Parts: sequence; structure tokens; C-alpha cells
Amino acid sequence: MADHISQTQSFADQVRAIPGGEHLEMCYSCGTCVSKCMIQQKVEPEYNPRRLLHMVIMDMERQAFESPTTWLCSACDLCYPACPQEIHISGVIGAVKDLAVRAGYESPLDTVSVEESRCSGCGICVMTCPYEAPHLIEKQLDGELDRLSEVDANLCMGCGICVAACPMGAISRPGVSNEELREQLRVPASDGAPRMVVFVCDWSLRADADVTLLESYAQNVHIIHIPCTGRIDPEMALLSLRAGIDGVLVCGCAPGECHYKRGTVVSSCKIGLLDRMLGQMQMGNGRGLASHPVRFVQIGTQDRGRIRREVDTMLEHLVHSKEAQ
Amino acid sequence: MAEAKPKLALYWAASCGGCEITVTELGMRLVSLAQLVDIVFWPCLMDFKYSDVEAMEDGEIDVCFFNGAIRTSENEEMAHLLRDKSRILVAFGSCATEGCIPGLANLFDAESILARVYDTAPSVDDSRGTRPITSFTVPEGIIEIPTFYEQVFTLAQTVEVDYFAPGCPPVVDQVWNIFQTFLSGELPERGAIIGVDPKTNCDVCPREKGESGYRVREWRRPHTVALDPDRCFLTQEVICCGPATRAGCGLPCISGNMPCRGCYGPPEGVIDQGAKLLSAIGALVDTDEPETLSQIMDTIVDPAGLSYRFGLANSLLSEIKYGARVREDEV
Ligand code: SF4
Ligand code: SF4
Repeated sequence: MADHISQTQSFADQVRAIPGGEHLEMCYSCGTCVSKCMIQQKVEPEYNPRRLLHMVIMDMERQAFESPTTWLCSACDLCYPACPQEIHISGVIGAVKDLAVRAGYESPLDTVSVEESRCSGCGICVMTCPYEAPHLIEKQLDGELDRLSEVDANLCMGCGICVAACPMGAISRPGVSNEELREQLRVPASDGAPRMVVFVCDWSLRADADVTLLESYAQNVHIIHIPCTGRIDPEMALLSLRAGIDGVLVCGCAPGECHYKRGTVVSSCKIGLLDRMLGQMQMGNGRGLASHPVRFVQIGTQDRGRIRREVDTMLEHLVHSKEAQ
Repeated sequence: MAEAKPKLALYWAASCGGCEITVTELGMRLVSLAQLVDIVFWPCLMDFKYSDVEAMEDGEIDVCFFNGAIRTSENEEMAHLLRDKSRILVAFGSCATEGCIPGLANLFDAESILARVYDTAPSVDDSRGTRPITSFTVPEGIIEIPTFYEQVFTLAQTVEVDYFAPGCPPVVDQVWNIFQTFLSGELPERGAIIGVDPKTNCDVCPREKGESGYRVREWRRPHTVALDPDRCFLTQEVICCGPATRAGCGLPCISGNMPCRGCYGPPEGVIDQGAKLLSAIGALVDTDEPETLSQIMDTIVDPAGLSYRFGLANSLLSEIKYGARVREDEV
């Protein structure tokens, strides 16, 4: 292991010394955190905060650094209020990750990259990122000293909030770049039925039944999976409407349950403002758009089956306004 | 015989006249310009008639600077006429480029605008439901006036445009650069946006930018805040359109301690300036309560007017509302 890790201090002591790490010992292995965690349920069965805490206590440094738990925790803190010992688990995991990065380990996640020739150094990404991953640096670019954003790939969780926020479109994340999402906005016409796009944050769908259900819709309802609703910007919604799509539904987590902390807040703000603008624009007068053609819904972790009701309600609304024309 | 001087035309359609004033602000440089070119049409400053233009050969004007949006049938007619008569047609200023303030009329329909003007404006005290009629018979014949369109168009939605020079108005030094460019004969690639920088105002703005974790719980209007001249407006809860606005103006508003209002339009590669601005400012907001969120949104009094103050006619919003306009030459 890297030599800067002190020889005298045990791994567990080092974790304890980092803010957040001090509550390590209090865990009595009940596993409540595991039962609350969306990562364990949805992406990585090996994910286990309880086990990670014990790896630390037992000084299993390498195993802790290589554990997916160290890297996948997004500090959504769904487990925090549930922990009977009031351990701030994401804080402890963050302390382990911090040491892992110092020891030369790298995040396995899909993270963002900034196209320098497009970045104007506005700092929007710096301000909005829930993980403080981007920061502004001074750098020579085309012979001039330029202020640019640089993202620490080990801090970035890949939520895509900055991708949507960047007014230059300078940031991309594999799978959900502006280009890749725009490509998906082509929904085939199907004999007069309204066309609808549903941007769905996968974290908001807790039950497997809900996930399967989404695949059962006819082709006029096009589901686009996104890492977080924070990834959706008003331009994407407007491009959908321009492409002839009648309605856009953005489904995210309930406030306080967002997997990436603030995605659902920023997205509902953006979609809310867009809705007000569409109202100001008196859209109905022209092409005959339905009222509120872009909607945002927040689905709580306990709201099973809600997604179906939301999609169906919107679809019905679109059918009605089509018929009314 | 001395070589013929290039022929220059300047025209205004639906505009406030600010673009014309910028040209006169060239001052003594305007005098030297007048020696280098023949001004063959400039109704704002010199006595020309439309018939003078009609009498010209096609392509006779070397460069025409067309400011103003297309609001009436007269604007449209002149756009076609000047397009035919000019080798190079420049959309000059924000109105011609993207609709600008006249384009905000796309928030309404024509009838509600006429009703406001003729019936409900506070200065009207005896509404008789008057509306302009576009054709009227008198003993001497028929008098026709231009029709008022249902929506405002940009110049490029009307005729083919060779270059675009945004700005409300374009700043005077850029205007001089633009004239110089055309006089030098070294023309930029057709379709280029001229007198601008590729990135946004933030790129050149010297103000200190915001830090990680900065969050907004209320947006404030500039006149209600004692603004720190050295810090980014956004970090003072004041919306600045700089992050979504093309640089090139030299920051007159920002150095005057007022936020950028966005008149230079979207930067290179951005489709919709207003949507991008909305996305950037929405990204700074924070709260967990739906009620508070709605209150924060309320602090943006006029979201469409704020984000699309200059670009509404050229925006996705207008395209969605009215459908894309297909020009005759594109059919
Ligand atoms: S938001 Fe975009 S333009 Fe602004 S600093 Fe970040 S990467 Fe650069
Ligand atoms: S993707 Fe999310 S975590 Fe990564 S830099 Fe952007 S905002 Fe931060």
C-alpha cells in the first residue's frame, strides 16, 4: 500500500480520524442500513455498509478499498434516519473512500468529462454538484490563460446534474450525453395516438413490478432511463415537443429521497419554471398542445404502482386534448 | 475612371431605432466610412424612397445591414426586396437576428395585442372596438396599409441571410469591426455570426465565481440589492444571463454593475438560450419543501420574459407554438 499511510496508525484509526469516521464502533450489525439501501436492491447485491464498517474495524484495508460499497454510496442518507445507533453511515463510507483515493484507488463509476474548448468557466457546475466534484482551474488553452472547470473523477457520482445545468453543453456523461438523449427523442407516430416520452430515474422505482411494467407500454410511450431527474433540462423537454411528442413526463424521487441528494429539487424547479413559461406562451392557441404538456412527478420509495397511474393519467389527458381538437 | 465604391444599404424593419443610433455613434468614423462607400439606401437618416430600391438591379447593393424583426407585411416585403437587390444581407442587431423585444409579442396572439392597444390600454378612454383595416376605398382609389402578422419572425425565417450580427444594439466598436471586415473583402464563412466571441460572457467576466455548495433560496431583483461589483451576480441571488449569452459586447452592463440581460443570444453550439439559462439557474436552487420551491419560483416574476427577452422569436418555444416557418427559397 502507498507509503504515506502512517505505519503507526491502524487503518481503523485513520478512518476514525476523518470527520464522519468517529462513529465507527457504534455499529452493532443489525443490518437496517442494508435494508434501506437502494443500491443493494437495484444494482449491487454485494453492496453492504454494515460489512464495510466491520472490514474497517478489523483493519481489512485492501478489502475495504476494493469493496463496491466504498465507491457506490451516493450519500443519499436514506439509511441515516433508520440507523438505531444514529451512525452517519455515508460519512464513514466517505472516510474510507477518502483514504482509498489517497492510496491510489480510482472510482469505477461512469463519470463526467468537460470539453475544455467549450467550457466558459461560469462555475454553475461547481455550485450545483452535490459532491463538490468540479472546481475551476486556470489553464493555458490556445495560448491564453483560461478559467475552466475540472472534475475530480473520484468524487463524481455520475448523476448528470451538471450535464443538464451547464449552459454551454460542455459536460457529458457516457450514456446520457446531450447527443445520446436527443437521439432517443424520435418516437414513431402510431395511428393518431398521442406520443409521450417518460424520463424515468431508475432509483425512483423500487418494485421490480414497476420496472417491468414500463416495458409493457405500446411504442407511443417511449421510456428513457436516466440516472437522475437532475439530468433533464428544459431544452430536452422542448426538443421533445418540437420533435412532435405530445407530452413529457419526468419521474423522480420524492424530496429528501433523491439518490443524488438534490437532483429531484433542481429538476422540479426547472420543470416547474418551464411549465410556467409554457403557460405564459399560451401554447394551446397554436399547435394545440395539451395543457401542462411537461410534468414532473415525485415518486416516494413506498409509492409502488404509482408510476403506472402517473403515466396512464398523463396519457389519458393527452388523448382527451387530442380529441378536443 | 476611379473604381466604383462599394454600395451600402441600411434598413430598419420592426425595431426601436437603437441599431441606427449605434451606427451614428461611430462619430467621425462614420464620416470616413461615407468616403469609402456609397450609401444607396438609409431611410432613417437620408431621403430615399422604396421606389429607389425597386429601380436597382438585382445584386446591385454590395452589403445591406438589415435591422428589425419581421412584424408586418411591409417588413416582409422589404426583406424580400433587399434580399434580391443585395449581394450580402446582414441581419444586424438582435431584432433581425432573433426577434428581440418585438419578438416578445409571440407570448400573445395578434388579436389580444390589438385589443390591448385599441380597447384596454389605460390611455384609451373611449373604446369603440376600432381595429386597423388594411384596405380602404376612397374616391381616388384604394388605400392599403400593411397587415399586422399573427407572430413575429426573424429575418432568417423570412429570407436567406448571409451573416448575423447580434446585440441590442451591437456595440459600436464591434460595428466598426464589422464594417472594416466587409471593406477588407476578407469575408468570414457564409452564415457566420460576426462581431462576437465563441464562448459566453462568463468566459470574459472578471467577477469572482461561486463556490461549491452555493445554494439559492430566493432570487432578488437587481434594484433591490446593493450589488458587490466584484462578485458573480448569481452568488448575490440575482439572475444574470451571462452564463447562457454569447460574449462579444465587452460587458457594458456587467461593468455598470447590472447583470447581463442576454442580448447577444446563445453561444456557439447552443440551440435554445432561454432553456439553457433556466436550467443553469434552476440548478442553484435548494429546498426540500414543495411549498418553498414554489415560493422560490415565484421570485422569478416573469420567467419567459427573463429567459427569452431577446430570443423568443427564434426559440424552441415559438417553433413549438407556431410550427417551423419554411422559407420560399427552402421549399
Ligand atoms: S457549467 Fe459548463 S461552462 Fe460553466 S464552468 Fe461548468 S463546464 Fe464550464
Ligand atoms: S455528474 Fe453529478 S456528481 Fe458528477 S460532477 Fe456532475 S453533478 Fe457532480
